[in-house]
Order: sequence, then structure tokens, then C-alpha cells
Amino acid sequence: MRIAWRGVEFRLLLPILLLVPLGFVVTHIALSGTVEAGPLEIAIGYVAILVAAHLLLVAAGHRGDQLLLPAVGAMGAVGMIMLNRLPQELAGTSALGIELGMAATQLLWFAIGIAAMLAIAIGVRDDGVLRHYKYSWAAIGIGLLAATLLIGYEVNGARLWIDLGPVSVQPGEFLKIVLVVFIAAYLAETRTLLTSARMRIGFLSVPPLPYFLPMLALFAVVMLIVVRLNDLGTALLFFGTFLTMLFVATGRRSYVLIGLILFLGGSFVAYQLFGHVQARIDVWLDPFADPLGAGFQPVRAIYALGRGGVFGEGLGQGLITLGGSLTIPFVHTDFIFTAVAEELGLLGAFALLGFAAVVVFRGLRIAALARDDFSGLLAVGLTASLGLQALIIIAGNTKLVPLTGITLPFVSYGGSSILASFIMVGLLLSISHRSATGADERES
Amino acid sequence: MIATNVRRLGLYLMLSFAVVSGSITWWQVVEAPSLATRADNPEVLAARRSLLRGTIFDATGQPLATSQVVDGLSLRSYADPAFTHVIGYSSHRFGTTGIERAFEDLLVGRTDPNPIRDFIGDVLDRQPQPRDLTLTIDRRLQDFAAEQLGGDAGAVVAIDPGTGAVLAMVSSPTFDATPISGDPNGAQEPMDALRNDPAEPLLARDRQGRYVPGSIMKVFTAAAALDAGTITPTTTYPDQPREETEGFLVEGFVIQEHDLSGITPDLWPLSPALQVSSNIYFAHVGLELGAEQFLTYASRFGFCAPGSIGPPGRQLAVASSFVTTPVDGDCGPFTDDAELASASFGQGTTSVTPFQMALLAAAIAGDGVMPDPFVVRDVRAHGEDGQRTDSVLDTFSSGGGRRVISSAAARQMRAAMVDAVNGELGRLFAGQGDVTLYGISNARSAGKTGTAQLGGEQAPHSWFIGFAPAEAEADPSIAIAVIVESGGSGSGRAAPIAGQVMAEWLRLAEAGN
Repeated sequence: MRIAWRGVEFRLLLPILLLVPLGFVVTHIALSGTVEAGPLEIAIGYVAILVAAHLLLVAAGHRGDQLLLPAVGAMGAVGMIMLNRLPQELAGTSALGIELGMAATQLLWFAIGIAAMLAIAIGVRDDGVLRHYKYSWAAIGIGLLAATLLIGYEVNGARLWIDLGPVSVQPGEFLKIVLVVFIAAYLAETRTLLTSARMRIGFLSVPPLPYFLPMLALFAVVMLIVVRLNDLGTALLFFGTFLTMLFVATGRRSYVLIGLILFLGGSFVAYQLFGHVQARIDVWLDPFADPLGAGFQPVRAIYALGRGGVFGEGLGQGLITLGGSLTIPFVHTDFIFTAVAEELGLLGAFALLGFAAVVVFRGLRIAALARDDFSGLLAVGLTASLGLQALIIIAGNTKLVPLTGITLPFVSYGGSSILASFIMVGLLLSISHRSATGADERES
Repeated sequence: MIATNVRRLGLYLMLSFAVVSGSITWWQVVEAPSLATRADNPEVLAARRSLLRGTIFDATGQPLATSQVVDGLSLRSYADPAFTHVIGYSSHRFGTTGIERAFEDLLVGRTDPNPIRDFIGDVLDRQPQPRDLTLTIDRRLQDFAAEQLGGDAGAVVAIDPGTGAVLAMVSSPTFDATPISGDPNGAQEPMDALRNDPAEPLLARDRQGRYVPGSIMKVFTAAAALDAGTITPTTTYPDQPREETEGFLVEGFVIQEHDLSGITPDLWPLSPALQVSSNIYFAHVGLELGAEQFLTYASRFGFCAPGSIGPPGRQLAVASSFVTTPVDGDCGPFTDDAELASASFGQGTTSVTPFQMALLAAAIAGDGVMPDPFVVRDVRAHGEDGQRTDSVLDTFSSGGGRRVISSAAARQMRAAMVDAVNGELGRLFAGQGDVTLYGISNARSAGKTGTAQLGGEQAPHSWFIGFAPAEAEADPSIAIAVIVESGGSGSGRAAPIAGQVMAEWLRLAEAGN
């Protein structure tokens, strides 16, 4: 294994290494009112994890994309600074006799997530396991979903969690990955047929029934998630990711259109039939109708955005608590974006959105350069999943779409989200490495 | 190949990122300024919690609302319950109402009246400076009017017809807002008691209460008809004397005269018709004016739409007054001529606020110009210990008002209203509204009583609108509307209250000169 210097990655990581401790210091000064550095263990720990990841990739001779790690590292850096600044008792771990605050717990998950990313990026040298056992992956996915339905418990009205002793996990985060793997394998196999066969209903060309069925099955799964788990965000994310992959596999806009019509129609029916779906939509349409009840968080989020303005209130100077209670109760998860936008302003919000855009466009580049259809579709699915998740939650925070309880990848607090997101980056790096080395082999 | 489709996907995603950027920009740039001043904004709540609020003074510099910060908690106390519905309350628990709400940003000092200093303060992130407000209301008149109402449910609104300055705005019953504006933990219980009180003390009857007007509405009908040229002061209706006893048949509906207290019907022109308050006469006037013109004039006089007191952006809301059944917040059409005839003498489906009726009186008093009312006179630098400073930062005044009828029509209407109080027949009904009865020797009142029939066994609402001094050469300094809920006839309760309050104002004005 030859060493591969990753100079671009190193140079892009440098500012993060400097800015994270600086962010911690600035926050500490603003919050304590004293000019002193304050504790920096978490900042240094975070920086050390990024440096270690970089060095391990170099040592392993990894030839994968060099912008992904800095981009997700920057998103994570913004997240760590914000989480360190929020009241630490919001979340945390007290397992195995160790008491960790929120930021320390998040740091622990970053370590686990980046370890998983490295293991996959370096360890997965061919995609056979992923490609050939697609129905097993599908079965695992169904199993995860069934487990959530059966033994899951509710937080904030949505049943998303399974209790595994010391930690609680959100199976939906991992279900996302196995579904993308399954769909990529399925579409890679059938895309020629899907593309060539033609059937028309009116002005829409419809895929023939045997190929249309998986689409319907997935749609059924998605509607089940909406109705049974009350998780609009995950449903939208799954279906959006699937439609994106279908579009790339077939190049047919009409399939996407059919999918969207199905989703909107299904949502409309769900709106008519189910009170909790209706409540969500009504709050979205007019949060100010009940600013102290159902509209409380959306309204407070909008005010936080307004307070931030263009330049922000400054790190540590946002109105996170009011009279001893949080102005936005879910500020560390669903509303982390508004906290960033409040303290760092429109400029900070755009920077965060920009980092997400870098992840998306590097992911698409990896897809375009992939050696085969499966790798390409897998990269598209992973990228779409990460990108759409960021877009959906930011759009929800800004009232562009109904608010949904999903995380902002790499920024929100949450172990399952961090781990799953880094697994996805690991897979992207692995695909990228294989297409880079494959090209080399053909040249030589 | 996949790569082509990926490139197309890239474009769509780029578009999505652009759309999301747009929605972030919308809130952080476009909407940010308007969000910053909304009362339920946590920033505003936080400010209200800990920041000193400015003092609110009456016209003579008496403190009415004062604040002190105790252990980081800003506490508000109110000196005079007669002002509760004007000033409102500033509660940590229940938000703000009234002037406390409309002038929130100035009271807590988040904005500076001077736009340049405001911008500099914003850029430098200066600590907010509380500002004090001075009302146009003299506490002595306000208290006097509240006393006249006694404990009865009702309202008194007095306006300076020349300037639009509100002179009194009383709603009864009232309450002390101090307990709900102090420690948020102790505020729930007094608020619950107020909410459960069947007398509805929380309702600002002066500007949010809507009542059937009864005969005071005849002032509107006649003023509109005089301006439109439909009638002159000498117009008579040949069938009217007969109809006074037999009834007036309009589209199958018989309009009956009210009890004329033994007065023999005659062929009456405008002045005696107004003096005896002939329903038959004004039904004829309304029908001749016609539904279309009736509604046009109603809108011009400020009926059929929400009203407001104060400068744009800092307004106290006044509920809409209606002359027909409202449709989408506007006056709907008259269903038939019977409804139009009833509206012409203030029955039927009419419903009005005392404030609107005071403006009607002010328009007649003001030579046909309806003033733009305002209740806060100036903004000053904050003074310590409830002392008013001389540092006036900004002043407010009327926008100049708007002409609703011609000067000639207003003068004819004024003459008829003077007769309604002082005339041989009018004295019998509205004589108690004359200021001469209350120690004023050099001035007379003009006015009109109203006895709003509510149907069934309910006692009618007692109304009076008017103004003084009202002689042809005088310049009226006060226009008034008084209602006493279920107070019986207009002459019984409302007219003497109005007469006393107007007399008190003339006395105060004289003493001030």
C-alpha cells in the first residue's frame, strides 16, 4: 500500500483546525463575560479526530475525493461550536458510569462515526457484498422498519426510537442506507429494461408493471411511515431519494412526475384522514394562528432567523433561553440551523448551506465518474439522501415546507444521525477511491 | 449513460439550493425588521421582562403608568383604573394591550424616534433607552367621566373636534391592571377572575363594544341627506303627520312612532322632527336618500370598516361599526326598504361603537370635517421617579382629518342639534344634555339622545351624542358620545352624563386659560 499525499484535503482542513478552538474561545468569552480561553478539550478532541482521519487516509494510500472530509468536517465544526454553546443538560450520556454532557457525547459519536467512515472507505475494496445480496439488504430494511413499528417508542409524537440498553437508536437513519443500496442494485440491473419499455397513460409514459411494482411497494412503505410513525420528514426523504435515483437510472422526468403526483395525492388523502398529519400541515400554513401552542416552535424559529439578520448576533449572544427556559425546545436537533442562523446570521447560514452544497456536488461528481452503474447509482442515492435531508430540514426551519423532525446531517445532535451520515461518506469515499484507482489501471 | 443524467440532476439540486437560500434570505433580510417589533417575539418578551418601561403621563404630567425593575424583573403599576382600557396592560404572562402594545418599541426604547439616531444605536448595539409618553387625556376629565358612569356598564368618549385629540375614553366596568402586570407567577389568579366576571370588565366598550345606536343615528341620516341635497332644513313629508299615529307602511312592514309623550303630531320639517325624534320623518329621509347613497355616506363617515386611533403603525384598534348585516367585514346590502327605513332611525341591523359615534358628533361640530383621532401627544426622554422631563423627542398630532360633508350641511345639522337640546320640544327629550344646567353660563350644547330598543324585556341602551359650545359663532371644543348599557331612555342617563362631562371640560379649559 503506497502512501498518497492528500494535499488539497490537508490545506482545506487547516482553517477548520484553527477556527474550531477560536470559535470555542469566542463563545466562552461571550457567555462568561470574562476574557479567558475556557475549556478547550472538546475543540481539541474534534480537531484531533479530523487530523487522525486525514492521516489514516494518507497512510492507507486512499485516492478518494479530497473535498468531502473538509466539507463534512466544516459542517461538524459549526455543529460542535453550537452544541458546546447550548445548555449542556439538554442531552447527554450517563452510561457505563461515565457522565458526559451534550457536546462531549456528540464528540464521542463523531469519533465512532469517523472510525466507521474510515473502515468503510479503506476496507470496502469491492462492492460485491452490497450488490449481490440486495434482497438481504431489503429484508434487513423491512426488519428495521418492523422493529420500529413493534418495539419503537415515541418522542415528540413520532415513533422513531428503539431502546438498546445504554443507547437509543433511530433505525430510520440506517434503514435509509440499506434502502439506497437495495434500490441502486435493483435499478442497475433493470435500468435498460426500464428505459426501453414504453407504456403510455395520457401524456405520461409509465414503466411496465413488473418494474412499476417496486415503486409502488416503496411508496406503500413511505405512506406507512407517514401514517403509522407520524414521520413526514423521513417519508419525504426516502421517497425523494428514490425518485432521484429513478430519474438518474432512467432519465425519465415523467417517472419523477408520477412519483410526485403519488406522493402529493397520498399526502392529501393522509391530510383528510389523519388528525396528526392535518395538524402538521395547518401549523405550516399559519404558525401564527396558535403561537403559544401548536405553532410555538415554528414561530420561535422564524423569530430566531429574524434576530440573526445578515451578520448574526454573534457566537454565544443569541437568545437561546428566556426566563430560564429554551426559546426553541428542540434547538439542538430539529432547529440547530436556526440557532446557527441567529448567531452567525445570513452569512453563517449561507456558509453552512454552502458546505452542504459542496458535499452534494462532490457526491454527484463521484457518481458521474463511477466505474459502473451500481456504483454510480449508489453514489447518487447516498448524495441525494444527504443533500435532500439538509434541504428538507432547512426548508422546514424556514417554513418553505412543513416542518419535519429530521436532523441536519453532521450538525444536529444525535448519535444515529452522525454514525449513519459518516457511513454514507465512507461509502462515497470508497466508490471514489475505486474509480480513481480503476482509471489508473486502465491507463497503465 | 448515467453521467448525463447526473449532470441534469445537478442542475435541479442547484435550483433547490437557490430556492432554500431564498427562503432563508426572506426571513433574515426581508422580514427581519417587521419580526423584530412583533409582541410575541421572544426578544420583545425578554426586553419586557427585564427592561425598564417608560412612564405614561396624562396631559398635565400626572404619572399614570410607572415601572421599576426589582431583581431583574420589570414591574408595571398603574395609578388610575379609569385609564385601564386606554393604556392597556403590560403583562409578562398575558402580553400587552392598548397603548402599551401600540407604543411598545418606544416605551422599552428599542427604537429611537429620530431615524438617524435609531440607525446609529442599532449599529452600535446600544442599550435600549426607555421613553415616556404623554397622553392627550386630562386625568381630571377622565376621572370625572368615570364617576358620572358610576358602576354602570357603559362608555364615554370625548374628542376635541378641532384637533382630533382624545379628551376622555372611559369604559365601565374597569379593573386594576397592576396585579396582572407584576410578578408573572401571581398574575394568573386575578386574570382568571377578570375573565370569569359576567360583567366583562376586560372589554374595552368605548372602542370594541358594538351597540344598536337608536335615534342618535338620525344625526348621520340627516347629515348625509343634507349634504346630498335630498333634503333641506325645511323639507316636510305630507303623509308624515297621519303616519305618526297610523304607522308608515314600508314593503309590508309597519313603522311605528315611539311614545311622543303627549306631543301632537304636526307637519314637521327637520328641526322639530329631530327635537321630537320622529322615526317616521327619518324613515322618509332615509328612503329618499336611497340605499346606495346611504351606504356610500356610511363608508365616508367611517362606518363599515375598522377604525383606529393614533399615528400609522402605532394605532389602537376600533371595532367596525355597521349600518347593515356585515358581509366579509364590510356593510352588506340592504335586504329591502324596510331595513333601510329602520337603519335611518338607528334600529334594524345597525351596530356601532361609542368611539365611532363620538367621531360622528365631532364631524358635525368640526364644520363637516371628521378629525383623525389620536391619544398620545408626545414622546419624551425618560424621567426618574415618575417626573416628566422637558426633553420632547417627538410629537404626534392629527393628520388634519377628512371632509365628510359640506360646511353648509354641517351648519344646518348643527342648528338642528342645538334645537334638539335647547328647542321648545327638544328640551323635553335632550334638555339634560345642556351645559347650562351644570354651571356654564356662556355656552349651549348641541346633541341628540338615543334610546336603543333591544327587543323583548331588555331595558334599552341610553345614548347621547353632542358637542359644546354649539352656538353658531362658537368653536366647539368637545364632542362626546355616552352610552349606558340598559340605562333606559337617552334623556334619563346618557344626556345628563354628557352635559356634566362637557360642562366639566369647559370649566377645566377656562381655568387653564
